[in-house]
Amino acid sequence: MRSRLIVNPNLCTGCRTCELACSFTHSVAGKPGLSRIYPLDGGFKDLFVPVVCLQCEDPACARSCLVDAITRNPETGAMELDDKKCVRCQACVSACPFGCSLFDRVNNLVVKCDLCGGDPACAHFCPTKALEYKPIVPKALKSAG
Amino acid sequence: MVNITINGKLVQAYEDEMLLTAIRRENIDIPALCHHEAVEPYGACRLCMVEITKDEWDGWKNHVTSCLYPVEEGLIVNTHTPTVIELRKTILDLFLAGSPRSTVIRKLAAEYGVTKTSYEEVPDGTDCILCGLCTRVCDKMGFSAISAVNRGHGKEIAPPLNEPPPDCVGCLSCAYICPTRYIKFTDDGKTRKIWGRKFKLLHCEKTGQPTITEEFARYLVKNRQIPEDYFKINDLSHRKELALKMGEITQWGREE
Repeated sequence: MRSRLIVNPNLCTGCRTCELACSFTHSVAGKPGLSRIYPLDGGFKDLFVPVVCLQCEDPACARSCLVDAITRNPETGAMELDDKKCVRCQACVSACPFGCSLFDRVNNLVVKCDLCGGDPACAHFCPTKALEYKPIVPKALKSAG
Repeated sequence: MVNITINGKLVQAYEDEMLLTAIRRENIDIPALCHHEAVEPYGACRLCMVEITKDEWDGWKNHVTSCLYPVEEGLIVNTHTPTVIELRKTILDLFLAGSPRSTVIRKLAAEYGVTKTSYEEVPDGTDCILCGLCTRVCDKMGFSAISAVNRGHGKEIAPPLNEPPPDCVGCLSCAYICPTRYIKFTDDGKTRKIWGRKFKLLHCEKTGQPTITEEFARYLVKNRQIPEDYFKINDLSHRKELALKMGEITQWGREE
């Protein structure tokens, strides 16, 4: 069974450790990259929602990519962006309805979550287990609620 | 998988891939100006020249552009032999004559020890090396707004009839991909100007930040079936909306 990155906003404290972990994992030539995950205000008191790519079934990013640089990794199920193919037109950045395809102005890159190739750093570093990477089984779904 | 030898090291390459891709995967640095993974190989700049041979060729060797040469079983590749370096030097010498002011060409030539061209410099030489990468990317994306015009000395990359190109959407991919950064554009956050045509940028309804051009968004709506309202706000506002929606969901079924 394929694992998914499970986000449980009720456990998130907004410490932004995931941001740091992501940024340093995806550093480019020693420069920290732009984080692909953001804990944002969930609209209620002390509620933070870590916003990260949902790896959609029919992704707008891949549909909008005119050079087919965004493809699904069959092993992890993540939509991965091939930077060698990307031509920086930023169609995916504008087309993603969840805003999870981003433009890194420092490194001049389009970036999106690739689940770190099957071992997401954010889930590793999350101190409260608001982020977990595990196979979805009905039991896990139940206890996450 | 195909077995090839690169600089004495036995490596495996995928069938149907080109030599350059296999060489670069081994982290061997060979220059190439006209190559980009997004488009088909073209072999315009000739800088990725390598020496190939095979055991059964009885010592015969060949020099080929690695970007256009498909990998073959038993191929022996050498990327930095004296002849190959000499070939690259000659090519860079010619590039220096044609584009004497290009910083990218000058830097690359200096790496190969060529600081001044041995030919006569073209007096009005531009930084454009006519590699066609911009037109190939434009074709691949489905716009075909620019192309090579004229022949010989007068050859240049231009929109049709040198007028603002009607098919351009202002995505700036050509400017990004240009190996010598010759393609110029201006972008002041409201309008974008490239190839002599002006484009109005879309702005996020919430933050006022510029996103892509109106024409590009219209193209994506029409040809890639992206809903029009996806382009109303920028990525940051989209993320904030998603957080609020997910925040609402966490409250479901909770007693007040």
